[in-house]
Amino acid sequence: MEKLKVALGAVIIVFAIAMAFSFKSGLSPYVSVSYVVEKGEVRNVQVNGTIVPNSTIYLENNTRIFELTDGKTKMKVIYTGILSNYQEGIPAVVRGDYYNGCFHATKVLLKCPSKYEVMEKNYSGMVK
Amino acid sequence: MDIGIAFLLTSLVSSVASFFTFLRCIRRDAWKTAKYLLVLSTISFVSAFFTLLYYFLARDFNVQYVFEYSDIHLSTAYTISAVWAGRQGSLLLWVCYLSVFNIALLSSKRDKVTALSLAISTLVIIFLNILLLTTSNPFARFNFNPGNGIGLNPLLRTPEMIIHPPTIFVGYAGMTIPFALAVSGIIFGEEWIRRSRMYLVISWVFLSIGIFLGAWWSYKTLGWGGFWGWDPVENASLLPWLTASALLHGMIVEERKRGLKLLNYILAILTFDLVILATFITRSGIISSVHAFGQNPEARAYFGLIVIATFVGIIAVFYGKKNFNGALEGTREKLILGNISILLLSMATVLLGTLAPLFIPNISVDKNYYNHLEIPLGTALIVLLGICAAVDWLGRKEEFVRKSRLSALAGLMAGIAVFAVFKAMIAALGIAIFFFALLNHIQDLKGTKLANRRKIGGYIAHIGMIFLFIGVMGAWIYEESYKPVTLEYGKPTKVGNFELKLVGFDVAEDQEKLSIISYVEIYENGKLQTVAHPKMLFYKLMRQDRVVSSVEVLSQPLRDIYIAMGGVSKDGSKAYYEFYVVPLISFVWLGSLLIICGGTVAVLPKSHLGRNRVQKEVEKNL
Repeated sequence: MEKLKVALGAVIIVFAIAMAFSFKSGLSPYVSVSYVVEKGEVRNVQVNGTIVPNSTIYLENNTRIFELTDGKTKMKVIYTGILSNYQEGIPAVVRGDYYNGCFHATKVLLKCPSKYEVMEKNYSGMVK
Repeated sequence: MDIGIAFLLTSLVSSVASFFTFLRCIRRDAWKTAKYLLVLSTISFVSAFFTLLYYFLARDFNVQYVFEYSDIHLSTAYTISAVWAGRQGSLLLWVCYLSVFNIALLSSKRDKVTALSLAISTLVIIFLNILLLTTSNPFARFNFNPGNGIGLNPLLRTPEMIIHPPTIFVGYAGMTIPFALAVSGIIFGEEWIRRSRMYLVISWVFLSIGIFLGAWWSYKTLGWGGFWGWDPVENASLLPWLTASALLHGMIVEERKRGLKLLNYILAILTFDLVILATFITRSGIISSVHAFGQNPEARAYFGLIVIATFVGIIAVFYGKKNFNGALEGTREKLILGNISILLLSMATVLLGTLAPLFIPNISVDKNYYNHLEIPLGTALIVLLGICAAVDWLGRKEEFVRKSRLSALAGLMAGIAVFAVFKAMIAALGIAIFFFALLNHIQDLKGTKLANRRKIGGYIAHIGMIFLFIGVMGAWIYEESYKPVTLEYGKPTKVGNFELKLVGFDVAEDQEKLSIISYVEIYENGKLQTVAHPKMLFYKLMRQDRVVSSVEVLSQPLRDIYIAMGGVSKDGSKAYYEFYVVPLISFVWLGSLLIICGGTVAVLPKSHLGRNRVQKEVEKNL
């Protein structure tokens, strides 16, 4: 029994160390739109914000340009690729590089489908 | 007053009354009153649920919840599923389920343990009932009458999403009963493991089905990171599944009077805590927007419930300290503890990753974190499962060597063969482990009597895990993805080992949406594999057009060919696609189905004929 406890304890300690290391390397910080625009040029960052309504321009070659805002600043985002269930006015996370006044996204993540917070907010004042 | 609210008030009053009546049942016989009150509150909840359903079907957009999740174009099936598309409706469903579970518990043995358990789970009902009347009121109305609703999110309009939430919530609600029985059992110094096993297995099966459906949906929905993306909502449902799986195994040891009493008790409480956490995460999206957490009054309420449940659990330990004596004995029992430890480490990993954004502002935890930890844990689990299957309850060494020698040899050969053909080290290792674990299970199953449902069910689930392991490995490590792929009309384009040719378009329209369908011929080595028709769906919604890429999957036994369409050029001469080849994904589905089947077999009632034989076999093995 004692041996078992020691073995289990050792496994847990080793695993906890592995966990701490992976956790540290697995963290990726979000930066705000204001931060990116202020810096002027940033590489390989994750930016979260909301897609500005009526800002999307569709180009040929499956490319679109839209604006992302954090409520203070807006920036243009250019992205090539499929975006299923794309919608303006919803929160999104973009990953990529910012230069020449435009964010070149390699990845765009749209928020979970079971929530419509923006709409909820717009109408919440009207509930009896 | 809205009739729905009237039902919720009735249920609240009768639940409070039944809570006190259940407490009285501990000392004297008040079961009849308790039963009436419980039935009354259950009927009220179910009536409230049907009232909400009626509002949906009647398109009463004056009800805020109906407005938010449906519109006039929505088909009947999806309108029904919209009832549980949001927080309020799913909470109502949760309460209905728990009430039904309570009725089942009431129909079992009527003693003080049952009485206290029912009182505890009624407290949970009261808690949710209060939420339904305050922050999550499904019957809240606007002071004006919108002519149409926002509409159900197009991504949720799939058959899987109709049944996924109602199944997963059976699992969540059911896990309340083992928790309540554990606390009561410990307080009164009585057995709770045997009583709660049935509830635990049933809830576990439903939770497994729910997780499987979610993964299946996610796989077929573009942009959701395949069948498992370590998304907070996915993680939330996995957490109680991991602890419940651990508890299922700990129970076996305790039933054999070989220890783990305290661990099992902790697992029952932890599972309930995680179920509450999962309910909250799933329907509030706290993790994706950190700021909402502090402001959300429900967050504090749920957190409070978790704290109270844990506190009650700890207090009960002091009450029934003497019930935890007995040390862990036996080789196989120790190996089971090893498996439980892996499941718990896995749970800790997922929990840390899921909750980290709450404590460290402005960060996200990427997939690598999970993969670095969960893949080794999963591999260790499968190896240990294989070893466990070869060790009998007596822990006979020669028996273990005899069985594993064969499996290890077969595994080694399969591994070498895979390495020789594909030159892939990880695949070779995975296949070797796969065969080792699988063959050990099959060898041990050979001598098992059919009537021993628990063992057979358990082993089917284990074999499911082994298949899941190899499927996950194939799909995650060896997936080929090609994006973006631009196809010109009529011109074959080379993509990996394949050639794709866009041969035509079609347009279709129904009440909900307009579809653009493209026809793509897929050739491999000059041979036509299939004509796929990936689509783009333009939903007619109030706010704006929502475009969804509907994927087309060609499933073959050892791989899937997966294509999605993302756009067409203005003149229609070109279209844009994503193309994937996913090896062994069918093993993921097969494994999941076996896990579900295994759980189901394990709760099937034993035939009377078989019972004696099982008894004999168990005695023989001891």
